[in-house]
Amino acid sequence: MPFETSLGLAYSLAMAEVAEPVVLPDIEREQKPDSRSDREPGYRVICWDDPVNLMDYVTHVFQVVFGWPKPKAEHHMLEVHHQGKSLLTRESLERAEHYVHQLQKYSLQATMERD
Amino acid sequence: MTISPSEDGGFVLQLSRRERALLRTVLELYPLIPASHHRLSRTADPGQIAADQKLLEEALTAQKQENHRHLRTWLAGEGGFKPRRGGFTLTLNGPQLDWFLQVLNDVRVGSWLKLDCPDERNGRPVHLTPANARYYFAMQYCGMVQSLLLQGMNGDA
Repeated sequence: MPFETSLGLAYSLAMAEVAEPVVLPDIEREQKPDSRSDREPGYRVICWDDPVNLMDYVTHVFQVVFGWPKPKAEHHMLEVHHQGKSLLTRESLERAEHYVHQLQKYSLQATMERD
Repeated sequence: MTISPSEDGGFVLQLSRRERALLRTVLELYPLIPASHHRLSRTADPGQIAADQKLLEEALTAQKQENHRHLRTWLAGEGGFKPRRGGFTLTLNGPQLDWFLQVLNDVRVGSWLKLDCPDERNGRPVHLTPANARYYFAMQYCGMVQSLLLQGMNGDA
């Protein structure tokens, strides 16, 4: 992530003049017995460093996907940048898959790993 | 190219004719990242998560197909570019800006993949050839536009 971050976010989510946001359903899973381990927060959602995603962009994505305030998003972005990865959240199987899909939709290197 | 807040809370990009032509050329490369690029896990046995990996790739492919359809429609309708003296303006609201950043980043990361994942920090410079030069340009141009948009959102433009 070669660029430095900047401060003072001013989001605006008003009007829809040209494009509508594209919202697709999350990954569909086959029906199977809902085991207790699948419902427990036993899956780590991790974002990995790469040399191509911009630091400001990664911060933006964390804010959008997790609804985090900018300082928290920046903290995790810097962890990715300096330590090579950041543990973003621990979730159940389905929620972890949801977050990985969301992060990869933005072309970030995200995976879910079992505790 | 400059960015400024619009009256309705969005942002307005001001582009010259050449900048608009470059932007359209770069956007027409979308999508560049193959769905198989993304892995669900780095530690799980690939055989055990094959079905989930397939679902992930299908979901990403469907997402990109929808984005691509939307992008083609958008560009065919001039993409919201409005003529002004000496160039064009492009107005984007918040959701549009987020979508636009996603599209630009796909082209940036996909171009980086086409260039064999260069990493200057770790001694892997770009090896430019006549065949891959356009991807180098696309990677840099998308990064520049993304930075401009994000600076605008951050109030730094």
